[in-house]
Amino acid sequence: MGSTAALKELQRDLENKANDLSKLQKDIAKNHQVRKKYTIQLGENELVLKELDLLNEDANVYKLIGPVLVKQDLAEANANVRKRIEYISAELKRLDATLQDLEEKQNSKKEAIFKVQQRIQSLQAGKGKA
Amino acid sequence: MAENPAIKKGTVTPISSLFPAEEAHKASKRVQDTIAERQEQLDQLKGFMNENTNLINLVHKLPDELHHDIMVPFGKAAFFPGRLIHTNEFMVLLGVDHYVERTSKQTIDILKRRGKGLENQLESLKAVMQDLKAEASFFDAKASEAVDGLVEIREDYVEESPSEVLPLTNNTKDAIEDEEYTHILSRIAELEQQEEEAEKANEFNKDEQIENDLGCSTSQSFTGQEVRSSKVEAANLQSLSKDGSSRGKGPALNDSSLNNKALELAEVKEKVQAPVLATADHKVSRPSSIPGSDSSKAFTGSIVEHAHDIGINSTEQQTGARSSKPVSRFKMQRK
Repeated sequence: MGSTAALKELQRDLENKANDLSKLQKDIAKNHQVRKKYTIQLGENELVLKELDLLNEDANVYKLIGPVLVKQDLAEANANVRKRIEYISAELKRLDATLQDLEEKQNSKKEAIFKVQQRIQSLQAGKGKA
Repeated sequence: MAENPAIKKGTVTPISSLFPAEEAHKASKRVQDTIAERQEQLDQLKGFMNENTNLINLVHKLPDELHHDIMVPFGKAAFFPGRLIHTNEFMVLLGVDHYVERTSKQTIDILKRRGKGLENQLESLKAVMQDLKAEASFFDAKASEAVDGLVEIREDYVEESPSEVLPLTNNTKDAIEDEEYTHILSRIAELEQQEEEAEKANEFNKDEQIENDLGCSTSQSFTGQEVRSSKVEAANLQSLSKDGSSRGKGPALNDSSLNNKALELAEVKEKVQAPVLATADHKVSRPSSIPGSDSSKAFTGSIVEHAHDIGINSTEQQTGARSSKPVSRFKMQRK
């Protein structure tokens, strides 16, 4: 009886760990997606910066705020875009760190699951012999 | 047939064990799916590039007139006639909610730069597609091979020195092999000169020749040696399983049969060996140098061998020739 109870416990433990692992994997997938979005935005902003640099001093730059096109200073526009780029890069770095973290957790979870599985197997083998 | 004791047995692995047919199929399918995805992206990019080109054309043509008469869209399902003025002023979206006023020419520049960026993307995508396609074809090939039951054979490459390998028939001659070696080399040099005119006919296992030459150790004339070699060659033909043994005769052969045999042996060897190498030739297979032999032989080619290969190849090929055809061929190809 004691062994069956232990077996049941181990199996419950295995289920929990498996759920955790799947959650982790979903998080990792989401992380990847957000990273992709940010990377695209970063690329776009860099393009804009390049074009702005090619403009004359007196060119009219407008910014779209809602339904309104507002005239902006070239210098201001440059500064805005640069700040945007910095912000996105920082976000990307943060995401990278989170991703690393998540991956480590995933690996350790996998190992734990494996160990639990091994224990279950040995228990079952023991029960089978007895 | 004598097997060289130094040669180890190779490993035979069925390809199906390395790449199970099922898995190869699945992998191939996965790669195909990825290829389909990339193809879609590729098509999208191409669409963008077309749009860009059209836009460039339009922007180029607009400033030709001071104003254009157009039908202006009004809501979802209506137009009204209107006029397009300020035909040289364009408000270009740079991305990220930033617009800039530009003339037609400047707009075209911007658009062209965008087009170049698109092209780069297109190129990289194409490269990725190439790799994926190569992968897919590889998997397909493996799958079909596994299904056919093909087998991968690996054999260790054993570096054999000439002294180790003992030829089947000429055991006694090995002792004097080295002595004769230099002797032969000088003769080969002479022969080489004569050889240069003759066409290359077949690959030939000259080493057999050498073996036989050494065996009949007599100081003989150039042609005499050839005769001897041919005779010994004839003897060898007898021992070769594949050769028409009916042709195998004793040393007292007339030239025609000699030539035939030379031809046969050459043909046999051709099947066995790699393509012709231009080398020194002191073989019998030059019927013309055999005394009394006429030059109207069918076999006009001269068997040429690499002078430096003599020592190395002689015994091994000798052995190879002795063994059954498939094995010898394999060994030959290995060398």
